Amino acid sequence: MEESNNVPKDFIKLKSEKLSVDEVSELVVSPCCGAVSLFIGTTRNNFEGKKVIHLEYEAYTSMAETEIKKICRDVRQKWPSVKHIAVQHRLGVVPITEASVIIAVSSPHRAESLEAVMYCIDTLKASVPIWKKEIYEDEYSWKENKECFWANSEK
Amino acid sequence: RRSPGRRRRRGPATEGSSPRDGGSMRCEQVSVLYFARSAELAGLRCETLSVPREITSLQLWEEIVKVHPRLAVIRDQVVFAVRQEYVLLGDQLLVLQPGDEVAIIPPISGG
Repeated sequence: MEESNNVPKDFIKLKSEKLSVDEVSELVVSPCCGAVSLFIGTTRNNFEGKKVIHLEYEAYTSMAETEIKKICRDVRQKWPSVKHIAVQHRLGVVPITEASVIIAVSSPHRAESLEAVMYCIDTLKASVPIWKKEIYEDEYSWKENKECFWANSEK
Repeated sequence: RRSPGRRRRRGPATEGSSPRDGGSMRCEQVSVLYFARSAELAGLRCETLSVPREITSLQLWEEIVKVHPRLAVIRDQVVFAVRQEYVLLGDQLLVLQPGDEVAIIPPISGG
């Protein structure tokens, strides 16, 4: 279909393979758009003085995809000029400095895609059922996003 | 027709339906999914449990803790996802259908 690039699309993928910034950007590029905005979440090598060996992610996959679709729907309501949205999240082991999540949004002008990308990552952290385990040298820790409204942050 | 001695069923909850009982005493088989810390504490990722068809979310939690007592330590940190909608542990009345997915959701950390 020649016109397929004109229809706004959401590209949502959870996968265990290494994420590619090029691949995710390519998904959202569109001739009518002057802006592609990107967020890449990468793994840090330290937390509170402890050395992080790697991260491990798991997900309630079917619900995570549904929640990300809801985020995309919300983005299109708030920023109607947004064209394509791509959200890829890695599952399983993620080595240090590699990407855990990549979000890309295209729009005719830059303000909308920049704001939409920020909204996507902020809302993903608050609502998508994905869990991260930080592996240290001697122990590990299940992380809790501060955005998660049911986390007991006093613990 | 039902022998009073047959009270031990596979699930933790009350006995199955009887013509005398109201609909709220019926049990349904639901799929319970465990994630992250809750999977470590329960020692498994999924199972089928028989629970009352009509039950509050807090009562449902208590039924699950009867089967996996080690889960009690995370009671203040978890919510449910019932049919993929978040539900707080509390007075909310659930009406469960056979095969419904009920997931234990510890604090999330995606992104």
